[in-house]
Formats: sequence, structure tokens, C-alpha cells
Amino acid sequence: MMELYSGYLEDPFNHLKPLCPNNMTSASTQFASSIRIGGMYDRENQITSVWNDSFQVDDSQATSPSMGDVKLDNTLDDVPNELLGSSKGYEHEASKPPEKVLRRLAQNREAARKSRLRKKAYIQQLESSRIKLAQLEQELNHARQQGVYIGGHLGESALGLTKAIIPGIAAFEIEYTHWVEEQNRQTRELRAAIQAQVSDIELHMLVESGMNHYENLFRIKAIAAKSDVFYIMSGIWRTSAERFFLWMGGFRPSELLKILVPQLEPLTEHQATQVNDLKRSSQQAEHALSQGMEKLQETLSEALTMGQLAGPDVIVNNYMGQMANALGKLETLVSFVNQGDHLRQAALQQMYKILTTRQTARGLLVLGDYFQRLRALSSLWVARPREPS
Amino acid sequence: MHQAIPCSNTRAWPRPADLSAPPPLRHSGGVRQVVQDNPVVVVGRKGCCMSHVVRRLLLGLGVNPTAYEVPTEEEAAVAREVFGSGDVTFPVVFIGGKLLGGLDRLMAVHISGELVPILKAAGALWL
Repeated sequence: MMELYSGYLEDPFNHLKPLCPNNMTSASTQFASSIRIGGMYDRENQITSVWNDSFQVDDSQATSPSMGDVKLDNTLDDVPNELLGSSKGYEHEASKPPEKVLRRLAQNREAARKSRLRKKAYIQQLESSRIKLAQLEQELNHARQQGVYIGGHLGESALGLTKAIIPGIAAFEIEYTHWVEEQNRQTRELRAAIQAQVSDIELHMLVESGMNHYENLFRIKAIAAKSDVFYIMSGIWRTSAERFFLWMGGFRPSELLKILVPQLEPLTEHQATQVNDLKRSSQQAEHALSQGMEKLQETLSEALTMGQLAGPDVIVNNYMGQMANALGKLETLVSFVNQGDHLRQAALQQMYKILTTRQTARGLLVLGDYFQRLRALSSLWVARPREPS
Repeated sequence: MHQAIPCSNTRAWPRPADLSAPPPLRHSGGVRQVVQDNPVVVVGRKGCCMSHVVRRLLLGLGVNPTAYEVPTEEEAAVAREVFGSGDVTFPVVFIGGKLLGGLDRLMAVHISGELVPILKAAGALWL
């Protein structure tokens, strides 16, 4: 007796069909057997060519089963003729030359085998897509829970959402959120330590932590820039008020120095000169980088518009070449982001050299506090009461 | 050792229009010759934006750098001639015939205040 699957059978090439003994249509019969064929081989396993029928294999006539010596189950009364054609076919084919019969059997075996493999591959593909989808959903939820600022960008562009689910960027967003939390903690600690007037040795440790912490930021930015340089350049990972000051994927060192210096008084005359020199050097370096960026914009535009006045043949031939060229130029952006951060780091280290431990501690506090206030300002801005239009 | 730089203090901020880099040199006696003959040489790829940054920075300091442009095909050859190995990231800067380094090094040296003294020592900058 033919065993049947109870319940629904999912069939990619037809629609869902319920299976039960009394309700067998030819199609459902076919797929009932094919499911079992995909699994175990047992004595009821006669109708392997069924799966082939749905693929319209050469052999339109349903022929004998793949297993040469399988017995036919004669109780398959309700099985439609095309399948039982196997039994009838057998009778017919007994009169044909054996080589042809054997060849046909072999062909069917082969076709059936290929069918099974195709089906298996398809199911595997479905499974892995399902897993991938679940993972992406999880990452997205996780990023959302971290309070990452994704939702606000849906208005700007759908890409804002996409960015959060590129794995390298999703990792960066999570790391950056932790970075901000740690910076806030360090800022609090510095404030408490300075107010408590702790020893220089203790301050020194806090200062070292602070310097390392900035280095961590530059490090994770560099990694993220390799994943998606436009993401870093856009500053979308920062709050809106911070983004207002955006230059080369971060803050301008000279601007930060301007904020810092008044808060660091009193400085010795020598220190004041050094700090001024640093401010100017920084401005010069920033200017050079900005000019390099403008040059990049120029060369990129040129690369894309070269030869547009030529005839259609030339344009078509040049297109891919131009695109490849332009792609190469875009890669330079990663270097620019890195140079921006390199400059920030160099300026930080120079300040560390110029100032005393206590002054550096104050400087780090001022910076940390400044960034925190900018972020708070951004939140207030987002939440501000708007006048009804 | 960092020292105060009076000359830069009195120099007006140069406007880009005022500065035009000299035309780049190619193969005039090879890279080695160019580096020896000129106090400041920037060796970089043709049309490279980072080379542009290096040149702009030096121009901003009042230096007239000599630009040596390397076509892509010759990069490895030039690298070997100059450094002995084919593995080099352009652009690189030579001051006073000696290799200073790439953009990273140039920026670091500039920020730490060591660049101007080096330039002066090479005769590329005057008070």
C-alpha cells in the first residue's frame, strides 16, 4: 500500500495541495511519491519519474521506475493512467529490444536523479535564505535597541536604514555607542578627580585612558571606512549638532583647539606660543587636505564626463572603462578619512607634549564635556516643540 | 626640538590663486638626479590627489616643491630605483636629497613643528 504524507505538501512548482487517500489527483500523487523518493527508498518507491514529469523531461510517457527490479504495487487503483503507464508500458516494452528498454531505464534513472538533486539544491537555498533573513532581522533589532539613530534617516533616504544592516557598519554602530558611553563615564571620572584635586599620578592614569580612548575611536573608524567610506564621511553615525561641524569625517582639530585654549589658562608663554603654532600647523594641514578633496571631486567629474561628445559607439565602449576609473578614484576617499583622523591624532599627541598632566586632564574634560553637550543639544533639537503650520 | 617660527608668523596666508606649482618633471636624468638637484621633491602618481595634498601643504609653507610624476606603468621601476624595493606607497617627499617619507610622515613632522627647520636646513625656506 502506498504510504502517503499526511498534511500539506509544499511544492515550489505548483501550489499547496493537501494529500489524503481519497483526494488524490494526478499532481498530488506525483508529488507524494516524489517526497518519499527524496527520502527513503522502500518497496513502494516505484514512481520516480513523476518528479520528472513536472520538469517536462524528454520522456513524456511515464516509464518504468528507476530501480530496475522493483515490484509494482497492483493495489494502486486510483493512480492515474500516466503513472500506471509504467505497468502498461512494461507490457509493451517487454516486446521491444532489451537494449532500448535498458537505455530508457537508464535515462529515466538519470533524469530522476537530477530532479532530486535540483529539488535538494532549491530547498537548501530556501533554508539558508531563511537563516540569513533571521540574522538580518536580529541585527536590525539589536541596533535599534541600542538606541542607534537609524529611524531618523528614513526621511532622508531609505539608504539610511540599509547602512545599519551592512555587517561592518552594524558592528561599528554598536561599538561607537559603547565608545560614547565609555567617554561619558571617563568625563565624569575626570571631573570628579580634578575637583577632588587628586595627585598627578592618578591624573596621569586617567589622562592615559583618555588618550587611548580616542585612539580606539580612530581605530574603529578606520575599519568601518573600509566597509563603507561614505557612511563615515557623511557623519550619519554622529548626532545632528555634531554633524554640523563635520570635516573629513570628524571634527576639525584647529576648531577644537580654539575651544580648548581659553579653558586651559593659565599657560606659560612658551606653551602659548607652542599652542598657537599647533593651531596654525593644523589649519595649514586641514587646508591642504581640503584642497586635495576638491581635486578629487574635479578628477571624479572629469572621469565621468570624458568623451561624452563622442559618437554612440565610443560612449558605449568607454563607459565601463570610465566607471572602472571612477571607482578607483572613489577608493581615495578612504585615504582622506584616514588622513583626517591621523591629523586629529597628531594634534592630540602634540597637545599632550605641550601641556602638563593636570592641564591635559582639564583639556580632556573640556573636550568630553563639549561633545556631551553637543549630543544633548541634538536630542533637544529633535524633541523641540514645533509650531503647527 | 620645537622652536618658534618667526618667518611663518609674518608670512601672509597664501591664496591658492597666487601659487602655481611648477610644471612636473619627467625622467630628466631619472628620479635620483631630480632628487639630488632639487631641495624639495614630491614623487607621486600622475593625477593622484594625495600628491596634490602634499604639494599644497608645502606650497602653503612657502616652499616651491618639484613634482616628479610617475606614470602607473613605471611605478614599480621608480620605487626600486629610489628605495631598492618595489613596494612603496606614493606619494613620497624628498627634502635636501634625503627621503622624508609619505603623507603620514609629512603631516606628523609638520604638526610636531619639525618640518620648517628641516626645510630651512635644506635651503628650501628662507627667513
